[in-house]
Amino acid sequence: MKPGGERIDLEAPLSGDFHAVVRLIIGGIAERVDFAFEEIDDLQLAVERLLAEAGTVGSVHLSFEVGENSIRTRVGPLSEDKVARALRDGEAAPGELTLRRILQTVVDSFGVDESEDGRIVVRLEKLKGFA
Amino acid sequence: MNLHRGNSASADARRPSSPERAREEDRELLRRYHESGDTTAREELIERHLPLVRSLARRYAGRGEALEDIEQVGAIGLIKAIDRFELDREVSLATYATPNVVGEIKRHFRDKGWAIRVPRALQELNASMSGAIERLTGRLGRSPSIAEIADELKTTPEEVLEAMEVGSAYSTVSLSTGPSGDDELDPLETIGDEDAEFERSEDRAALEPALERLAPREREILRMRFEEGLPQTQIAHRVGLSQMHVSRLIRKSLALMREELLR
Repeated sequence: MKPGGERIDLEAPLSGDFHAVVRLIIGGIAERVDFAFEEIDDLQLAVERLLAEAGTVGSVHLSFEVGENSIRTRVGPLSEDKVARALRDGEAAPGELTLRRILQTVVDSFGVDESEDGRIVVRLEKLKGFA
Repeated sequence: MNLHRGNSASADARRPSSPERAREEDRELLRRYHESGDTTAREELIERHLPLVRSLARRYAGRGEALEDIEQVGAIGLIKAIDRFELDREVSLATYATPNVVGEIKRHFRDKGWAIRVPRALQELNASMSGAIERLTGRLGRSPSIAEIADELKTTPEEVLEAMEVGSAYSTVSLSTGPSGDDELDPLETIGDEDAEFERSEDRAALEPALERLAPREREILRMRFEEGLPQTQIAHRVGLSQMHVSRLIRKSLALMREELLR
């Protein structure tokens, strides 16, 4: 039976040493939804780039809502202003490789929510391509 | 077409006739870059010395890391050497670059020590995954799922996921560490290999400065992925690499670019 409606919450250190652990967990979750290798890689890359921009001090909360053919990921709250700016700014100029452009390429949709303390939470949605 | 392995005919045409002439040409290119900010001269210097990087990288093959990944790390050392070269130095660029390249590679292995100690079975599974993914992609006409890869390799999805991380785990922190002057060198490693085999990516995009720090092949892969929006499978086909390798190069290139932006 395919999963649906489950949620996994994770508090992970921002230190780069733990990025591989987060990747592994994302792989495990995405495998349950039967994502393709490339789709898993895309979601891992999206989260990895967000974490890289979020600094290396403290920890970050990640939550994964597992649908039948999708994974909705929330990353944050993040305090880095530049992450918020990078995601809210308009379209990147041709040839520019911004965080926004990367996310536009590797996930199906993304958005930014403000948390109560003024920090941001980034929403990512990745759909299974051959449902 | 394999962008990295380049165009041998044009390489022959541009091959200098002697080591002395090659050094003179390097000097002229270094002058153009350092005195006039000519980035095409820098680009050409990088390409002229990639064979040296490859030669040095081969010494570190067979230690649990793909040779092309080692070359990529070594290329960072080359770029640093070009950028730091002082024109009043009496040494050739190849001689100056060699310890930089070797230092970068050694630091990479030192920082990734944990990755090299993963169980052999997982390393072997990782090595066989590329072929399995290529076969399945061809057979299914799409990127395979983890369960399909596991089935193909007669193992479990969990082991496939673990193996995916073997050899691809990559620390951005390691690339932000300082210059390589403190690394110990073998005497042979201070002697530059001036083999003038050239490589050239034919289709260059106008890219931001951080992108210019990457080797032409990596820039082209990023352009195909994020400008053309091509999936990894198509990029892999175009550049003649495995999909797993393309994935690793994309991740590494993005991490390197970020390091550059923070400099």
